[in-house]
Amino acid sequence: MMGESGTGESGFLADTALAIVAAVPVTLALFVACAVGASLLAGVLVAAQQGRVGGLVARAWIFVFRGTPLLLQIFMVYYGLAALGPVRHGPLWPAFRDPLFCAFLAMTCCCSAYIAEVLRAALAAIPPGQIEAARACGMARWTLGRRIVVPQMVRLALPAYGNELVMMLKSTSLASSVTVLDVTGVAQQVIAHSYRTVEVFCLAAAVYLGLTAALTWLLRRIERRLDPAGGR
Amino acid sequence: MTETRPTVLRARGITKRFGDREVLRGIDLDAARGDVVSILGGSGSGKSTFLRCLNLLELPDAGTIEIAGSPAPLAHDARGRARIANPRALNALRAKTAMVFQNFNLWSHMTVIDNIAAAPVHVHGMARAEAVARAHDLLDKVGMTGFAGHWPRQLSGGQQQRVAIARALATDPDLMLFDEPTSALDPERVREVLDLMRALAGEGRTMLIVTHEMAFARDVSSHVVHVRDGVIESMGPPALMFGPDASPVFRGFLSPP
Ligand SMILES: Nc1ncnc2c1ncn2[C@@H]1O[C@H](COP(=O)(O)OP(=O)(O)OP(=O)(O)O)[C@@H](O)[C@H]1O
Ligand SMILES: [Mg+2]
Repeated sequence: MMGESGTGESGFLADTALAIVAAVPVTLALFVACAVGASLLAGVLVAAQQGRVGGLVARAWIFVFRGTPLLLQIFMVYYGLAALGPVRHGPLWPAFRDPLFCAFLAMTCCCSAYIAEVLRAALAAIPPGQIEAARACGMARWTLGRRIVVPQMVRLALPAYGNELVMMLKSTSLASSVTVLDVTGVAQQVIAHSYRTVEVFCLAAAVYLGLTAALTWLLRRIERRLDPAGGR
Repeated sequence: MTETRPTVLRARGITKRFGDREVLRGIDLDAARGDVVSILGGSGSGKSTFLRCLNLLELPDAGTIEIAGSPAPLAHDARGRARIANPRALNALRAKTAMVFQNFNLWSHMTVIDNIAAAPVHVHGMARAEAVARAHDLLDKVGMTGFAGHWPRQLSGGQQQRVAIARALATDPDLMLFDEPTSALDPERVREVLDLMRALAGEGRTMLIVTHEMAFARDVSSHVVHVRDGVIESMGPPALMFGPDASPVFRGFLSPP
């Protein structure tokens, strides 16, 4: 395809592609860690919302992290916390000095707020009659949660939850703003040396497209698996 | 009622208020094993509320309930509000009953067979293999052989209700509560559910049935209860209730002027 442009051109593109693909593990690791962390945290937030005090805390959390830009949150964790003495001299400083960890922390907090809202909506959408049917046969609270509420919540939440995951995957690119060398970070590095903005960003975009396509495919498979009747 | 059959339900002075509105104003009802009690009454008279008080889906403000020898664990706080004294006893009491709802309320995330096996496994601790085997037998019994792997939404209303009845039977309940089990069905589907309930009555199941199916109440019940404004206006065997000596109020309900 690039034959006419000579070996220099195709060599540059090949090298860039390799460098960008080599950064995929960083992007994926950040995404998976955030997805797991944010989902667990969201579960805690929803559980907390069932109580009065917990509900206030959870609502404040969601208000703050959904109401401010993720980029600012990443800056705050990476630059802001580093300025605080107790953090700088505390035992966790090695972690807070690491930009990848800071990006993970900020993204986990931010995404947990969105996922908590998705879960809360799913919880509210469970048909009350089905919970009543479980209570009527003497199912204990814990069993009811595990066998009826959570499975229904997961099914109801899945489409919107999948959406959040796709957004989260793309948001990992913000980590490059605090020097993380993920796919976007590496792309920026190459551009800084080569000034070939369009080609390099197109390559990076293609990598994200591939990743989100794989993720959507996986989500659709899970959705179909959980509800075979819905797929037909 | 006969003397020899054991009492399955003893409800006394059931009272329930929603806000200022007193929906149940002291209902007494007994049922012996094998009784089929039809509960009739106008819309809003409190039939559903009464049924839901019996398995404590609603907490009665006053009154006592005993099901198959176990008293309902009801207590009252300082302000007189009802509360559950003991969640474990509550679940044990509910496990002796089964409820069939107007809207079926099958668990939509479970296949038919799992719907039926769920309570035996998760409430009564039965081994899954045994529960599934029994669930298949129940499917045969309700005429739903071959539907084990179906999802509730793939079934017609009548089919869903028959599965719901199989689910109710799965725990071999002492008392079955039916709240308008045919009211959400197309007319041609009502028959299949009523025929099944007729068969259950013939087997000696103890059933309380809120219904608007007068012919069914007349033919199948051992007792007919007329609820009006939160009290039992009149009750008796169907021969009496549907005969010339029934209370004029009930006759007026049956055939409004
Ligand atoms: N959870 C509730 N909160 C407030 N009011 C209620 C509640 N449940 C029932 N009611 C009221 O109590 C009264 C009795 O309701 P109930 O459902 O027991 O009537 P019903 O005899 O079953 O009527 P229908 O034949 O229409 O089903 C009605 O006026 C209803 O509006
Ligand atoms: Mg009703």
